[in-house]
Amino acid sequence: MKPTGGFRESLRALPWLAPTLVLIAGVVIYPAGLMVYTAFRKFSSYGFEQGPAGLANFNGPAGAFTFPTVPMGRIWLNTVVWVVVVVALTLVLSLLLAQFLNLNFRGRKLLRLAIILPWASSVVMTTTVFHYGLQTDVGLFNRLLVETGIIDHAIGFTKNPTMAFWVAVFVAIYVSLPFTTYTILAGLQSVPDDVLEAAHVDGANGMQRYWSIIFPMLRPSIAVATLINIINVFNSLPILKILNETPGYNTGHTTTTLIFEYKAQLGPGVASALSLVNFAFCLVIIAIYLIVVQPTKEVA
Amino acid sequence: MTRIRKTLVALGLATALTLTACGGGGSSSSTGPAETGPDGKLPATTIKILAPSYSDSSKSDWEKIITKFNEKQPNVKVELQIEGWDDFSSKVQARIQARDFPDILNDNAFAGAASEGLLYPINEVMSPETLSSIEPALLKNGEGSDGTQWAAPDIASSRMLAYNTDLFQQAGIAEAPKTWAELEDAAKKISELGADTYGYGLPLGQEEAQVESSLWLWGAGGDWVQGDKLVANQPTAVEAFGEMKKLIDAGATQPNPGATNRQQAADLFNNGKLGMMLSHSGLLKVTRENFPQTKFAVAPIPSKGGDPVAFGVTDFIVAFKNEDANRKEATKQFLDLMYSDKLYETWYKGTGLLPVTQSMIEKGRAEDTANAEFYEALTYVKFLPVGNPKWDALQKALQGTAGTVANDSPEAVLTKVQAQLDAQG
Repeated sequence: MKPTGGFRESLRALPWLAPTLVLIAGVVIYPAGLMVYTAFRKFSSYGFEQGPAGLANFNGPAGAFTFPTVPMGRIWLNTVVWVVVVVALTLVLSLLLAQFLNLNFRGRKLLRLAIILPWASSVVMTTTVFHYGLQTDVGLFNRLLVETGIIDHAIGFTKNPTMAFWVAVFVAIYVSLPFTTYTILAGLQSVPDDVLEAAHVDGANGMQRYWSIIFPMLRPSIAVATLINIINVFNSLPILKILNETPGYNTGHTTTTLIFEYKAQLGPGVASALSLVNFAFCLVIIAIYLIVVQPTKEVA
Repeated sequence: MTRIRKTLVALGLATALTLTACGGGGSSSSTGPAETGPDGKLPATTIKILAPSYSDSSKSDWEKIITKFNEKQPNVKVELQIEGWDDFSSKVQARIQARDFPDILNDNAFAGAASEGLLYPINEVMSPETLSSIEPALLKNGEGSDGTQWAAPDIASSRMLAYNTDLFQQAGIAEAPKTWAELEDAAKKISELGADTYGYGLPLGQEEAQVESSLWLWGAGGDWVQGDKLVANQPTAVEAFGEMKKLIDAGATQPNPGATNRQQAADLFNNGKLGMMLSHSGLLKVTRENFPQTKFAVAPIPSKGGDPVAFGVTDFIVAFKNEDANRKEATKQFLDLMYSDKLYETWYKGTGLLPVTQSMIEKGRAEDTANAEFYEALTYVKFLPVGNPKWDALQKALQGTAGTVANDSPEAVLTKVQAQLDAQG
């Protein structure tokens, strides 16, 4: 092929790319465009369009950032804490778990299966199990904690917004572990044995072998796992929504759950306005991660 | 260079995964007279019903009417969608946003939709005979503040104080409280009976905080309506919220009132762990049938001064304007059929609540002795200002905020409610 035939070549590829392009236009570009449009339209709380809104959905009297009684600062902080804590703890635990699952022992297959199970079940279902288990009167987890003497009376873990937030963090880590662990496990299995053996012969101890050889080689897997986790966790709605029983604008929200609270009370215009900013915020978090950690840098 | 490209690819991937989809929809239209055939049959068309689930039988109760309707109008297809109460308004919202208006909606609010011109006045889709069969005092509740009859009530319920007679006996309380002071005293005594027993069930969660707080407000002699405005931050409301807070602080309510819905309070009551709660005939029907070991009685709701307060709710039938003469005519025939004595009787009994047509109220008074007090209360009930277009905003603000009174002063809570109300113009 001649290098100058770029345009022609693209044209020839078009019929094969067309289905994908149509799909992207239909399920990504059109809804995103509609969201931007909606953010600048006035809606009644019933969801009925009433005309142009200018910036009122952002900073009007009932705007996304100016609606009274919404603890906006706290909600931004929650959002950052939610993403950073869940993703970081998931990663650390997954690194340990993957290392363990990479060992050779009896029953390894069964254990690997057990760890993948939370991933195979629906997040809503898993969260609902935790939600019921933590109820004060009928909850099994509460009963277990009381009867083992860890706490002396049942606690309404999900009845207080701040406590419910931390329960949600726990559940989010729990459901994120399988995917992350398996991504890292796949990375571990691509570390060549002869390199490790050579290091061993050269007298490197376990720690040195891990930090100087294994960890750098895991970089691509960690990068993939972290990026996908950031996006997933940032957009995660069901866990926080199911576990936070307190209604209204409380200290247990992240911006993503706030979007849905707004949708119910103030209509789709305000919800879209917050979605737009929320989306930009997610990109900023990812950009910071990419710039600071440089996970895609090739191993020297 | 490669790093920048990879960063861009990563951001692109992020973009694709972050965006979520939402949809729109279209609607067909045709106006003019209905194309009724010489045999009175309408041409093929579809009418859509959206209704909440009052009980397990709600779906089959509606289907009975549909079957009967299809005997008369075999060409009209009836699409029925039943949804749970707890998330009902967002289901309605979704249908409205998608411009997929149900022809018949059974809901507890109508003013918002009416003020946006989405509804037919109900007398366009119900015959004068049907409308006049409805108890006038209840029918009035479906009138908007503009004087138009936008909605027709379909069921009514009144709230009263239900109390567990066994717990009252154990605590040595002779009779049902009439004043706030007596209520407080009784609730404290019952809470002291044991670790798992609570005096008063206070559901200030998402579902019904507006009902509970309105009852306390009326008990203090106040009202949300002042002139043609709705006012949250007013002295009587501060008094009402102060009284609720007093109960919470004294440990005389169930734990976490701000996250409790009425059903959760009813569960406690059914299991004999709750001394008193404000309840309605539908909930108490369950107690009577499924929890016979729980003995209870009902009494008027206590107030500050001792005059009984009673609260009435009607749910409504509204008809959305679909600009289609055939659908409108089918809707009209369906509704007239629905309110006919025989079908209406089965339908309303399925909800466990009280009827709205005069003939059924009369019949219920005579036969339904278990609910005699509730029929009695229907004569002096007060209603929420559902005809006021601002009510939806106040209701949402109360649902989201009233529960915070457990950790905040009554003044602060009401200031927040008022601020949310004001911000929505």
